[in-house]
Amino acid sequence: MPQLRKDPVIGRWVIIATERAKRPNDFKQISADITEVMPCPFCEGNESLTPPEIRAVRSPGSRPNGPGWDVRVVPNLHPVLRIEGDLDKQPHGIYDMMNGVGANEVIIETHEHTEHMSSLKYEQIAKVLMAYKERIVDLEGDTRFKYVLVFKNHKPASGATKIRHCRSQLIALPVCPKSVKGELIGAKRYFEYKDRCVFCDIISQELNDKKRLILDIDGFVAISPFAARFPFETWILPKKHSADYTSIIDVDANGLAKVLKEILFRMHRLLSDPPFNYIIHTAPYRRAKKGYWGTIENDYHWHIEIIPRLTRVAGFEWGTGFYINPMPPEDAARFLREA
Amino acid sequence: MGELRLDPMTARWVIISNEKDFGPEGYDIESPSIDGSGACPFCPGNERLTPPEVDADRPSASGADTPGWVTRTVPNKFPALKNEPDLERSGIGVFDMMNGIGEHEVIIEDTDHNKQLADLSIEQIKRIIYVYKRRSIELGRDERFKYVLIFKNYGLAAGASLEHSHTQLISLPIVPKRVMEELECAQRYYDYKERCVFCDIARQELDYRHREICENDDFVAFCPFASRSPFEISIIPRRHQAYFTNISDGQIENFARILKEILMRVRQALHNPPYNFIIHTTPLNGNNSSNDFHVYYHWHVEVMPKLSKIAGFEWGSGFYINSTSPETASRYLREAVI
Repeated sequence: MPQLRKDPVIGRWVIIATERAKRPNDFKQISADITEVMPCPFCEGNESLTPPEIRAVRSPGSRPNGPGWDVRVVPNLHPVLRIEGDLDKQPHGIYDMMNGVGANEVIIETHEHTEHMSSLKYEQIAKVLMAYKERIVDLEGDTRFKYVLVFKNHKPASGATKIRHCRSQLIALPVCPKSVKGELIGAKRYFEYKDRCVFCDIISQELNDKKRLILDIDGFVAISPFAARFPFETWILPKKHSADYTSIIDVDANGLAKVLKEILFRMHRLLSDPPFNYIIHTAPYRRAKKGYWGTIENDYHWHIEIIPRLTRVAGFEWGTGFYINPMPPEDAARFLREA
Repeated sequence: MGELRLDPMTARWVIISNEKDFGPEGYDIESPSIDGSGACPFCPGNERLTPPEVDADRPSASGADTPGWVTRTVPNKFPALKNEPDLERSGIGVFDMMNGIGEHEVIIEDTDHNKQLADLSIEQIKRIIYVYKRRSIELGRDERFKYVLIFKNYGLAAGASLEHSHTQLISLPIVPKRVMEELECAQRYYDYKERCVFCDIARQELDYRHREICENDDFVAFCPFASRSPFEISIIPRRHQAYFTNISDGQIENFARILKEILMRVRQALHNPPYNFIIHTTPLNGNNSSNDFHVYYHWHVEVMPKLSKIAGFEWGSGFYINSTSPETASRYLREAVI
């Protein structure tokens, strides 16, 4: 059983994935070119190579776990957390731990064998974005979970495995992740002080300044954040205030898909297909501690963070949580605007 | 001139450095190892390739910026921060910033281009630790600074850009986010238990033994209970000590011994991986009237072999997946034959 362990100093939870325990040899530095896994388990016709699907956008008449789908959601074959069991919170001397219970799903973004989300039609991307929403809504029924993280790793340097077929992942967690919590606390504090959403204030300032604005279309803005940690870090935010990603409806998904496709396409061109990650930041489930989240609908604002993996994070960044970014976001925004 | 900027959401400060100011073509996505061709600015005889030295051990009393040194400290040629006369804070709308003041120095650990820190003699490592102490005290005198960080990047994947073994030192006008979080948690723990959390950790690890790697009279090294990355290691003083700069002569001897042993074990067990280490110490002036950091904070070293790529999940969430338990990692490190 994997474990979740809490660092007593930082208060951050870590998954100790004992079932994937590795030996030192497994970490030998791998070279850049990878042999692709064949046949691809994410291609149409190979549905039997994945665990049974959880959900799929299918053409009428097609059968589950057979061909005829646009988007398909399956459990991760090598999950970092297990769906079965109780949390069983317990101490270990001064330390705290609980069982690694959680869901780990893969969202296959297309039945075609392509690596690039930016090459998909925006209508197809919108279907993927709606699948994210449906999964987050569905997992709320499981009272063990506090948070669902939806993210994408593009290319091996970003953490993706040896399959070149575009997909995203989600992980449902029994704890609220450290940096999400930091954001929630920061947003709440700002709201208590100003009675306004910090993200709404950022959007209006960026629309006004224009220096860090990349795109402004169909109700969404893409910006280079003022204190970007990484070169070409980009955030996409809805102009309309909403704490929960799950508030999006079809028309929003279309707008978001257009902005996301455009940003990924520009990054691809400008930076020669860099490895990248994106992650959706949304409000946690509010079943537990309802009072604690009293103002969350007003103070938090969902968004997507996209991080191209261009620099190596060195000891300084890792050990201090203090990042050195060699690219001023104003320049990054200009490059991306003009790409 | 670089800037420090505060992220309004997480209160995380970021250095925006325009010293290098790369365009998109300035980024190498994958290059295998450090380019060793060309003259090494850290080798004896090439002293003119670095800015003038700020510190050097010269047993033969040779002149500054000439050969004859055993350790040499120079300002970083491409500093992340620069020393300017004034610290200015300002705000634009919702954003806060200050100018990026700070010193950024490089400690050249040895004259031999081909030796790693792990290869050096205990005597030489002691000299290096004395330099860490001396430079930290010196930079800490500037009242605008709140923190002096000492860190090492070994290997390209860990962020080193030169092969010749060196450590870096940077003074900052703010306390770094991660140290701040450690301080807050240590304070909460102290408020509740009236004990230092680091002292308790050291005691528990010495008692439990399954995560311990090695120890001596002054230090214990172990894989932390909730390690973020595989084979992560903590080295901490066994007795409460808030400031690295209070390290005694006797402790320096034992610190040199345990550091060398750990680096040798890491190299042996993990096939000479890239690694980082960083010294976390109490912020400067941590015992003034407004706080009592020194009561509940305890300096320590984090050693991180660079083995697994951090994926999007970790970045976005601050929630790390570690696929080697610290108990297993410490066993490999303990059993490595050095």
